[in-house]
Amino acid sequence: MAEIAVGIDLGTSNSCVAVARGKKVEVLPNHYGEHVTASVVHFSKDGSVLVGNAARAALIHDPHNTIASAKRLIGRYSFSEEVKKARAVYSYEIVDGPGHSVRVKIREELFSLPEIAAMVLKEMKLVAEARLGRAVSQAVITVPAYFNDNQRQATKDAGRIAGLEVLRLLNEPTAAALAYGFGRGLTQRVAVYDLGGGTFDISILEIGQDVFEVLATCGDTYLGGDDFDDRVIDLLADEFVAKHGVNPRKDPFALEKLKFAAENAKRALSVDDETEIRIPEILRSPTGQLLTLERRLGTREFGTLVGDLVQRTFKVCDEALQQAGLVPRDLDGVILVGGPTRLPLIREAVAQYFGQPPKTDVDPDQVVAMGAAIHAATLVEGGTSDAFLLDVTPLSLRIGVTGGLAETVIERNTPVPIEQTRSFTTVQDLQEAVKIRVYQGESRKAAENELLGQFEFGGLEKRPRGQVKIDVTFSINSDGIVNVTARDRDTGRHASTTITLSSGLTTQELESIVAEQRTGRVKTQPAAGGAAAALAVLDDADVESILEADLEELGDVKAGEVTPLGDDLQVPIANAPPDESLFEEGELDLSADDTQGTSGA
Amino acid sequence: MAAITPAEVRALAHLVDELDYYQLLEVSRGAPTSAVKRAYYAATRRLHPDANRGLAGPDRETLERVARRVSEAYQVLRDGRRRKAYDAQLDTGSGRRMQLAEADAQAEKQALEHHMGRTPNGRRFFNLARADLDRDDLAGAARNLRTALTFEPSNAYFKKKLEEVTAEQRAAAQRR
Repeated sequence: MAEIAVGIDLGTSNSCVAVARGKKVEVLPNHYGEHVTASVVHFSKDGSVLVGNAARAALIHDPHNTIASAKRLIGRYSFSEEVKKARAVYSYEIVDGPGHSVRVKIREELFSLPEIAAMVLKEMKLVAEARLGRAVSQAVITVPAYFNDNQRQATKDAGRIAGLEVLRLLNEPTAAALAYGFGRGLTQRVAVYDLGGGTFDISILEIGQDVFEVLATCGDTYLGGDDFDDRVIDLLADEFVAKHGVNPRKDPFALEKLKFAAENAKRALSVDDETEIRIPEILRSPTGQLLTLERRLGTREFGTLVGDLVQRTFKVCDEALQQAGLVPRDLDGVILVGGPTRLPLIREAVAQYFGQPPKTDVDPDQVVAMGAAIHAATLVEGGTSDAFLLDVTPLSLRIGVTGGLAETVIERNTPVPIEQTRSFTTVQDLQEAVKIRVYQGESRKAAENELLGQFEFGGLEKRPRGQVKIDVTFSINSDGIVNVTARDRDTGRHASTTITLSSGLTTQELESIVAEQRTGRVKTQPAAGGAAAALAVLDDADVESILEADLEELGDVKAGEVTPLGDDLQVPIANAPPDESLFEEGELDLSADDTQGTSGA
Repeated sequence: MAAITPAEVRALAHLVDELDYYQLLEVSRGAPTSAVKRAYYAATRRLHPDANRGLAGPDRETLERVARRVSEAYQVLRDGRRRKAYDAQLDTGSGRRMQLAEADAQAEKQALEHHMGRTPNGRRFFNLARADLDRDDLAGAARNLRTALTFEPSNAYFKKKLEEVTAEQRAAAQRR
């Protein structure tokens, strides 16, 4: 029997699995008949693990042992803003793992984020296997387009732990466009407005029959439906404090009830103009009386609560349209993705922004999984490729240079596969080695970007500074794998590495988890220190030094010397002789000014 | 869709460095952007690694290399400004490849020259004209723009500016 590969939308709040056979795409319901499964994991006392709506219910009575919205933490460093915020918001314990990774502590056991995500993925795998009546071992998993490569790697690791061969990670909006346009022979330009539980993405695509070309992708990984809920929680909690003098946020059980009520209110407002929020016995008053929270919330008031969040999404849309060189009226359609886009206030705002009502013939909760399934079917052995995805790299790839800066090598929204080379030189006399640090992000300041990895390129000839020329080539393959090659232009010597991404698990940890799983329940040990095997693996000291922005002494390659040898015609503008009149409009000068970073929103 | 054979991949790999972006995409120098796009889609259908799942090992890596070059070509040719910079490079015979960053830098340079003049005197009088405009001295601005144009008769931007200034002068005269 031929292999069958499924598509899995691993969402912040909900996950969905689908399969494509022939021209038919089918979303596979779980054993409760639901098409989506809550991405919540509950660890019960007896050691069993629950995933889905049953686990979601456990949030209320056992919040410390129940993990929701893990996707917000996956592939992040423990010092990141998102993790700091999560520590304040979630009831489960978040601790530091090796290499500034994140671990959650449940009943004295430590779990990495890929392991938690793997539990959700495994559930989806089981759902598919139950429906299809056969084993499933291959999948395309979707990720927010704006995920960086560490987050992507962590998602891939999760797939492996769940016993899935991850054929490809597919960007969620691209998947949605594929599901929308597949097999319809369309020639259209569409926008995919994807507001999920924890992330917002906008992609502009051109569909030319069987070719799906992403023209631009922009996003915000700190903006989603959860933030809408937070606004409602704040309103309810503040009013409650004012009225009764006790704070429901301080009590983990009351807080979970608040979250539940807020989310339900949001859902209710997707259908009705007004909803009744009622949480009986949420807390005891100082005098020991049981208190009930009651309040009505209308669409209009909700609109004012979240208005600025909605507007933030349109700032990102502006950016994407600008990158694509288009205006809203150039678009033939707008596709909505994600539960929050069911809200009438979002639909109306989107219609107004794009000057046309969004398409209503796609299900915002299922369209991503369907697209993933279609892609999965084209990727399996013997599969027919009748859809070609031309995606872009959503974030710029950079190299750390002297002065704590990061120079772009591959600009964001460049179509992949791609290969680009830039030249660098030494900053010290007789320097024998350079450290190549690879960053991802939109800031000229290295520390404001995500560090993907690094390696040392040694054996340089001892020369005065600026005389050794090193070409650094980044290439991204069609499967998204980034390769970095450094080449000494004089000696022709070169070193090449595949960037080993920081998923939050070392290779050894991952191997041992995958191995252990064959025998029993997923369980991770706190890793032994100093497990860095490859050059590109980060160790604690490295991250520390980056945190301190102490790159002055580490940054030993310098940009701005991009002059190809023996070719005077191609002096880049930053190296052009200083012509006052040319630069009076405030042209950037690569070497001097580090304040002009084009930091992403 | 006809997939590419290993022999074809190897042949193409040798050829890739010999072809300029136009030859690679099989479009003419004057082809409109829509034709560039069509050619890129056609190349994609044939060369996309996803369309050639059967290809393995070194042949697959070679195909990836070809695919990277094809999308590089498209990135340069689909953007009018980059394409102009690339054409200039082809005309001077200084290479068939152009890094995107370099294409952008060259395009930026061309744009700056276009806007601010490519000769010292052109720039000088253009800047004087701008200072005149800041003072609302339309007559002075027109005079300096005309002078700038004697140094750079073909500068379309100067011409456009001069037209704007003279139009404004006429409007001002009518108001009086």
